[in-house]
Parts: sequence; C-alpha cells; structure tokens
Amino acid sequence: MVDPILKISNVSKNFGAIQALKKANFEINKGEIMGLVGENGAGKSTLVKIISGFDNAYDGDYFLNNKRVNFDNPVKAELEGIAIAQQELSLIPNMSVAENIFLAGSKVKKFATIKKLAEEAKPYLTLVGLNDIDPSIRANLLSVGEQHLVEVARLLTHEAKILILDEPTAALGEAESRRILDMVRKIAATGKSIIYISHRLDEIFKITDRITVLRDGETQAISNTKDLNVNKLAEVMLGRELKNMFPPKSSQIFEDTHLEINNLWPDGLIEPVNFKIKKGEILGLSGQLGSGAGEVLASIAGSLKNRSGRLKMNDKEFMPKNPQEAIKNQIAYCSSDRKKDGLFLGRPIFENLTSPALKFISKFGINMGYNESQFSKSLALDFLIDVKRVKDEAGLLSGGNQQKVALGKWMSISPEILLVNEPTRGVDVGAKSEIYQRMRELANKGTTIVFASTDIQEVTYLPDRVITFYQGLMIGEFSEKNIETTNIIKQITDPFNETNL
Amino acid sequence: MKVNFIQKIKLNFVNNPDLSFAFFLAIAVYSYFALSTEMFASHNLSFAILERFAVLGLIGLALTICIIAGEIDLSIGSNAALCAVIVVKLTDPIGAPFAMLIGISISTLIGFTQGFFIAFLRVRAIVLTVGTLMLLRGISLVVAQEKTVMLTDFRVPDFITTKMLMYFSPASLMVIFIFILVGIFMRYTKYGREIYAIGGARKESLAAGVPLKRPLMIAFALSGFCAGFAGTVIGLKSGTAQGLGLQYLLLAGTVAAFVGGVSILGGKGGVIGAAVGSLTVNFLNTGLVFYAMQVHFVQFFTSVLLVVVIIFQTMSRIFDGYQTRKSYLTIIDSRSKILLEKKKNLNIS
Amino acid sequence: MINTTNSEIQNQQISYVDKILSYYKERTLFSILLTIFVILFLYGIFSTNNYLTIFNFKTIIRDAALYGIMAIGLTFVTLSGNFFLLSLKETAAICCVSFAVGMSTGFGVEAWVGNFAISLSVTLLIGLVAGVIQGFFVGLGNNPIVVTLGGAGIMYGLAAWWSDNLVVSFRRPHDAEWLGTGSFLGLPTITWSFILFAITAELLLKRTNFGRKVYLIGANRAAGKATGHENFSMAIITFTICSLCCAFVAVAFAAQMSSAQANYFSAEFGSSGDMTILVIATVLVGGNSIMGGYGSILRTSVGAVFIAMIDNMMVLNGLNSGPRVVGVGLMIVFSILVFALFAKGSRAQE
Repeated sequence: MVDPILKISNVSKNFGAIQALKKANFEINKGEIMGLVGENGAGKSTLVKIISGFDNAYDGDYFLNNKRVNFDNPVKAELEGIAIAQQELSLIPNMSVAENIFLAGSKVKKFATIKKLAEEAKPYLTLVGLNDIDPSIRANLLSVGEQHLVEVARLLTHEAKILILDEPTAALGEAESRRILDMVRKIAATGKSIIYISHRLDEIFKITDRITVLRDGETQAISNTKDLNVNKLAEVMLGRELKNMFPPKSSQIFEDTHLEINNLWPDGLIEPVNFKIKKGEILGLSGQLGSGAGEVLASIAGSLKNRSGRLKMNDKEFMPKNPQEAIKNQIAYCSSDRKKDGLFLGRPIFENLTSPALKFISKFGINMGYNESQFSKSLALDFLIDVKRVKDEAGLLSGGNQQKVALGKWMSISPEILLVNEPTRGVDVGAKSEIYQRMRELANKGTTIVFASTDIQEVTYLPDRVITFYQGLMIGEFSEKNIETTNIIKQITDPFNETNL
Repeated sequence: MKVNFIQKIKLNFVNNPDLSFAFFLAIAVYSYFALSTEMFASHNLSFAILERFAVLGLIGLALTICIIAGEIDLSIGSNAALCAVIVVKLTDPIGAPFAMLIGISISTLIGFTQGFFIAFLRVRAIVLTVGTLMLLRGISLVVAQEKTVMLTDFRVPDFITTKMLMYFSPASLMVIFIFILVGIFMRYTKYGREIYAIGGARKESLAAGVPLKRPLMIAFALSGFCAGFAGTVIGLKSGTAQGLGLQYLLLAGTVAAFVGGVSILGGKGGVIGAAVGSLTVNFLNTGLVFYAMQVHFVQFFTSVLLVVVIIFQTMSRIFDGYQTRKSYLTIIDSRSKILLEKKKNLNIS
Repeated sequence: MINTTNSEIQNQQISYVDKILSYYKERTLFSILLTIFVILFLYGIFSTNNYLTIFNFKTIIRDAALYGIMAIGLTFVTLSGNFFLLSLKETAAICCVSFAVGMSTGFGVEAWVGNFAISLSVTLLIGLVAGVIQGFFVGLGNNPIVVTLGGAGIMYGLAAWWSDNLVVSFRRPHDAEWLGTGSFLGLPTITWSFILFAITAELLLKRTNFGRKVYLIGANRAAGKATGHENFSMAIITFTICSLCCAFVAVAFAAQMSSAQANYFSAEFGSSGDMTILVIATVLVGGNSIMGGYGSILRTSVGAVFIAMIDNMMVLNGLNSGPRVVGVGLMIVFSILVFALFAKGSRAQE
C-alpha cells in the first residue's frame, strides 16, 4: 500500500468565534481524484486554502510526500507542486485574459509583451473549452462561467502535481461541465492528483475515486466512491435525515397575489420575466451562479439595474431604482454577501438590527436609547440571537449568528416582502435549521418570502413553489408534489436536452 | 501599412479616454501660452521647461506609480526637502557626487521603509504618509538647524545645468532615461503587472496568489528614490535648501498624475500618462511664472487644473459605467438568439 | 436539537473570551497613550519649572482649543468614512481673511465696518460654501484627498489675492474682543467654545439618527446603502460641519490677533508645523479609526489635549520648531502603528 502523497491530520482553525476546522483529516494518493464535499460552511474552502498555502495559521500536521510542510504563501506551495482554482473569482477585471492567466507563480515569465502572453495562453484556453476567446480582451467582459474557466486555465499553467478545483462548474451549463469533467479525468490519468470540490453530487459520483465528507469543520468519513450513493452521502453530510432540517411546508393554497412582476428585465437576463408572488408563500428561485435567479431579486429591490420593469403591490405600481425606494415600498432585500453589504461588522449587534428602521426608534431624529433597546431585544429574541449579547460587535459572531442578524434586521421595518439571496450561505447546520424555521413562521404570519439559492436541498425542501432559471432564462415552475430534486436539477443544468444523460 | 498605423493610434485613443484627455490638455495649455506670449516657444524656454521636468516629472512619475498601486505617498515633498537639505549641506565638505549618493540613498531608504510598514503591517499608505509628512519635515528642519542651507561653491550647480543637445541637461536626460526604464518595467514585466493588480483589484490579486509586499515596497522605494533625485536637482540647481521647502511638489505631482489619467481606485494609468501630465503642469507653471504671477496664483491655477481633471474623471467614470453596461448587455444579447430558439423548440409543462 | 444547542453554547463561550480580549485590545492604543501621557506628565513636573501651574494648564487647553475645535469638525468626516480634508488650514485662512476684511473695510460698505455680525455671517457663509462644494465632489465618488488638495490650492490663492498677500488688520477694541481675548469665569472664551463644541458634537453623534448614520456609513458604506443610507448627503453634511468649525476657529483667531494674513495657520507661521496635519493628528492620536465607523469626540478631545501637552512640554524645555515638529510627527506615526498592530483586523486593514 503506497502512502498518500498529501496527508492532513488533526488540523484546527479558528476565525475569531468561528471554528472553521476541528481536528480535520484529509489525504490523497498519487493519480487519484478525491472528492471533497460538505455543506456550506463545513470548512472545505478553509481546508484547501491551508493545503494551497493561502493560510498558515492553523494547528495540526501537514505532510507532503511524507515530509512535514508549512507554507507561508501560495507561491511556496506552488513550488512544491500544489495549485488551486478558488471558488471566489480572483481575476483582475481590467486586465487582459492573458495577463490574468500569467499573473503569479514561479512559472510566470519575468518579461513578456501582451502579444506573447496571448500566444502562450491560447493552448490552455483551448483545454478548458475557451478556444474562441481573444486572450487580449479585458477579463470583465466575459461571462461568469467563462471567467471561472479562465481561472481553471490559469491553474493548468502551473503544471502542478496536485490540483485543487473549488466548485469549477458552479456557473456552468451541462455541456461545459462535461468538458471540465473529461479534462479532469485526462489529467488524473497522467499521474496527477486532483482534489475536486463540488455541490453537484452527480459530478462527484461520476469522476472521483474516493470522497471526503466535512461537516461543521470535522471530517466525517473518507470512503471509496463506489461504496456510497447519493442518499447515504447526503446523510453523512448533514448528520441527520435531510427532512428533519426543514420545517413542514404549508398546506395552504396561496391564491392572493401579493406582488406582481411585470416585464422585469434585469441586467444579466436574456429576456424580461413575468410572474406573480402569492401572499404568505415561500417562493424559491433556483438556478446556478449567473443564471438569473439572484439577479431577479436584486433587481426587484433596486440593487441591480434593469432595462424595464413594473411592479404592482396593493394596487400601487412602482419600480424601485435604489434600495431606499424599495424599503419605502416595504420590500426588504438581503444580499448573498453579508460581509460586503449585509452587516456593519464593527458596530454592535443592536445597531445592526435597527439600521434600516432608524425612524422607528427615534422621535424627531433624537434617539435616547430606550426605544432602541426594547426594539432590538425583541428582534433578537425573534431570530434566536442571544439577547444578552446584543451590545457586542457583530464581527464577533459565528457565521450562522451573523446571518441571523443580517436577515433579522430587515424585520425591523415589518416588510411586506422579504427577498433573500442565499439565505444560509456559510451557515452551520444547526443555525440553518433555525433560519428555515423562522422563515416559515414569518411566511405564516403574512410576510411573503422569495429566496434565490444554489443549494439544491434548500430549494427542494423549503419553498411552496419553485421557479427555475438557466443561463439568463426563466425555464419553468414547480409547485407542491412536483418539487423534486431531480426535476429541478434537470431544468437548471440541462433544460434543452443538449447532452444525453 | 500607413493606414493601419493611424488606425491603431485612433483605437488607442478611443480605448484610453483618460490618456487622450491628457494629451488634449497638454496641447491646450501649451498652445495657450505659446500663442499669448512671444517667448514661450523659444529654445531657452523649452530648455527651462525640460529642466523643470527633471524635478516635476519624476515626482509625477512617483505619485503615478503609488496611485496605480492603490496607495499614495503624501510625504513625497518632505522627503525631497530632506534630501535637498542633506545634499546641499554635504556638498561643501565631501563634494557633490558623494553628497548626492548619500542623499538619494537616504530618501530611497525612507521610501523603502514606508513601503515595508505599509506592506507588513497593512497600514493604509494614506494614513501613514500623513504622519511621515510631518516627521520628515521635522527632521529636515533639525538637519538644517531651522536655517536656509546654502552652497558656498557655486561651480557645482553649473554642471547640472549644462546644456546638451540644445534642450537637455544631464539632469533631464537622466530623468527621461528613468521614465523609459520604469515604463518598460510597468508594462512588460511580471513585477510591473503585480503593481497594477494589487492596485486595481487588491482582494482578487491576493486570492490569485500575487504577493503584496514586493510590489508595495517597490512602488514606495521608487517614490523615495524619485523624491531624493528631485530634491537633489533642486538643491544643487538653486544652491539652497530649506527644511520647510518643496511642499508644493505634492500638489504639483498629484495634479500631474491625475492629468495623466490615474484613477484613485488604482490599477489605471501609466508612465506615458505620467510624462504627459507632468509636462502639462510644467507648461502651466512655466507659463504663469512668465506672467510674473506670484506663487499663490501658480498654486491656484494648478488646483484649477486639478478640478478640471476631477470633473472630467467624474464624467468619464459615469460614461464608462454606461459603456461597460452597454458592452455587457450587448454580449448578453448576442447569446440571446440561440438560447431563445432553444427555448421555443421546447415543451415545458 | 441537542447537538446544535451544545455547539451554540460552545460558540458563545468562545466569544465571551474573545469579548474580553477585544475590549482590552480596543483600549490598547488608549492605554499605551495614557501610560506615556502619565510618564511624560511626571517628567514634566520634575523637569520644568512652570509645569504644574494653573496658568500652564490653561495655556495648554487654550492651545488645544484651536486645533481641537477644527478636529471636532473633522471627526465627523473621518467617522463617516470620508477620510479627511487636506484643505483645513486654507479654509481657515480664507475665513480669517474674510473676517478681517469685513471688520476693517465692511466689504466696501461704510456702515458695516467693525460690525461683528456681518463679518461673522459672511465668513460662515464662505465656510459653508467651501464645505458644500468639496463635499459634493466627494459625494459623487471622488477621493477626498484629491478633491481637498485641489480645494486647498484654490482657497489659498483666493485668500492671498483677496488680501493682496498682506496683513489685514482692524482696530482695537473691536466687537469680537469677547471671543478673541475675553474670558469667563477664569477660562478664555475659546476654551469654553471647545467644551461647548465637544459636548454638542458628542450628543449629536451618540443620540441622534444623523449621528448613527455617520457611524453606520463609516463602518460599511455598501451596507449603509443597502439599508437606505447614502453617502452623498453624508459627505456634504460632514464636510460642511468641518468647514464651519474651521471658519469659527478662524474668526476666533482673527479676533485674537486683530488681523489676518493668508499664511496664518501655515507652517511658516505656526509653531508646530501646519495646522492641517496637526488637526488630522489630533483625530488619529485620539484613536479614531481612519477607515471610519469607530471613534468619538471624546477621543478627539483627548487627542487634542495630549498633543497640546506634549507640545507645551517641548516649548518649556526650550526646543526649537524642528524638534517639536519631529515630536508631533513621531506621535502620529506611533499612534498609527500601534493602532494597526493592536486594533482588530477588520479595522486596521482594508
């Protein structure tokens, strides 16, 4: 039995109050494709950041070829043959594709013209399926999926022995994803090792030899792929039966229209969309990154430009042009990136909770503190945030609690419609359950909720209705019994039957 | 062949509105003064302009590089003043060449140290250089003992200002050479690209594995070097130096950088822009001095130039926003035909 | 459910420890400065003859008042995430000249000569306009440093042109004596002004919606926008507050000197280097975060007194302007580095 070429044991990592990894284990053999799966917030990205040298502040052992290593920067890891294509985009928007591909690392030539770089980039772009792209155009002119492919191309230039791909197909359609999978198989066949992270369990089962499951920062299992199936895998990932995490759906029939979306054409969609949102329901918009689901929500709330659109609620017609107008119309929007614009991390929790509702906690603009104290405490109670800690800085909270604050603050304006993009991103399993519970309670009380998510489980088991999106098009709708994982996945990855599944 | 060349230049201008505007301003300012004053386009004055460029151009270049890197060096004037004081003070005892060497080395070291702190402690340059602006000024005052230091032997400055090739002097030739070197560095080397990357997209470049410390330290060491060089030239040319002097270099250099097309957001701009911007400010300064305007008026009009550029950049940013959105929407529309066809051919229940 | 409760408790316990640590870290800059303060204070007592006199303390506070009031205005700008103005001394200069011109020539109207109300109104108007224009450009998305660098040159040019670059003086006694040289209950009027400004500003920041918005937008501009608070109006308002504070200080100073010149407040004239840097130093040394969203007027006021004490000590020890400038410069750099090393990651960086 040959030793694994890479072995991580008992690795722990904290970000303040957030325990990203708790004595996690990981290993990979030469020429092996190891799948790395886990819920959002399970610790996958943290683990691979440590492996690829982006993070060296951790406890635990890291062995490469039986030698102990500790990389203080990614270039050192790259010299040892480890390279990564990260989940978050890391392309420089104003730079050309070619320059982005040859940006950092030991293999980058010290002196080169753009023409030369473009020439050298071509073969790598072809490998990932981007042979039609001119390497000298600016990177921000490409679509999200194409940008992710450029990142993979960049990864290939490092000629590493261990490649890490973090959600490479998150924004790709079925055909493009297949190409990536083929590419991965070919590379592994040449003796390279590949760590493949993906939410798409079908891909995991197609190409991996073994699977490592992370849950809440701990390694749950490292098993051979052929010994597992989708259901068993999901159970190990969640640590409980899937259905227990979600509250029961509503048995009610939703008839009254709460918000009418007419001719809304957000930037990023191919054609305008029209649909109705019913009072008291939870509506899920399902689609991959860049498919249009998230864009529709942002546009309704005035956070994203649109070419046309008219909303109608309570017999009033309007179209918010900025978040202020949306709030005035009792529409609340919680974006997918709470660190960027969902939380005031340096301020106390109660200030976060009351931030959209300043006029409700003050008289004539003066705030003596008492009203705010009561108000914020009741909001905190509602969302299961510890009332005693309401004066602490928001930045000290765990991911799940931060998300509760980011969501909960919107209840301060008692909105009629609550829009959420990725309601449980980076949230541990326990907090997820609490958030789902709360969302259902809010809907029952009359706050209509619309959420967009790339998490298939969430979209299957939480909402009363699901609308699917694919590459900027609205595809179809499911309700009640028709909401099934396989149906949804089909429509958001291959609605036009372009591949023979 | 010829047509292609012209087309290429046209394309360059369309793609670089900021640079085009810079050229426009340079030509406008120069023409204004050339047409309104007889002497402006003369050989002597052109020599004087290039002489000034030896100082201003370098400061403009230094600030351009720092701003491209997403930072700014507010202490550049104080650094130059310190070098001027050191060089003037040391020239009498140990001779100009050694004095220059020591002065410029110290300035570069100061720049390097600032870069070090900014890179390793992740302090924002805008904050740190407010402090060093004052600190270096104080040190200059102490070194100059609150007096104006002067050269006793005035033969030395003459060498610096000898005319070569009608318009140039050793100083201005040296500076042109530095410009070319830095230009090649920024455009064609990996290290230059790193500076653009960490300026325009700091988070993304770090995620891509671009080191932060190296480009920052290079940018600030370069800034220190340019400050030192500029201070040396001024000090030796005028034969005097003061602890509190050269404060206007910050304004002039910043205006030069912005006229040249940098964006405060970083990642935009270049050496050509720095040269054009510096020349524009130079034309303005020299022209105004010609009108015998007092110092505060020169400052006033330089600031007006800055305001003009700010207004232009604000409008340019808005326009660029429209353009980017337009291109984005065009790309989306180009995909739409195919996808809509597919959708039509489908029956979804 | 039991699993989650356990991990929840664990998370809470961890954060409790973190809470204590962060509380201490937060105060680190403060405690270090306080320690140095105490050491220097004791040193001052023992090494200088006049240190422990009431008169000396009054002098310290009076000196601190000038840049302290301007710093109070600047604090609003800094806390809201709009960095600082580089045009502070020029705003003061043009306001100073304006007041003096008003008092000495009545702006050309015979009846207005020596009229405090008219001169004050015009001066405050100039301050207001300066703040609004600069704030407008910043609100549109331009960098405050660049905008105010331009504003500085323009205002200085105007001030010098208006006064023909000469000293403008007006006769004594004049209507503004109470402000310039007067005192009340033993403290100079300017000191009372400092105290009044400080209390009003702190109340504004901590107890009004406006103040809350300052902190929120400063803490995270994007989140502010998402919750309905835009920086456009905030930039204009905070810049105006700051410029008005500069105008007030300019009037007080002109009243004290019974004259004005364009280079008052500049490095050549002043004692410890130019006013702009001194005011920025006051805000930073007190421990306000330059990135915004954290700090208070109390911190700024302490910063002002602290700088005044150090400067005073240096003067009493016979130091020239050079070492004094070095002293203030070191204080700024030191506070910045300490703050960067000890403040929480989210504040010191990005």
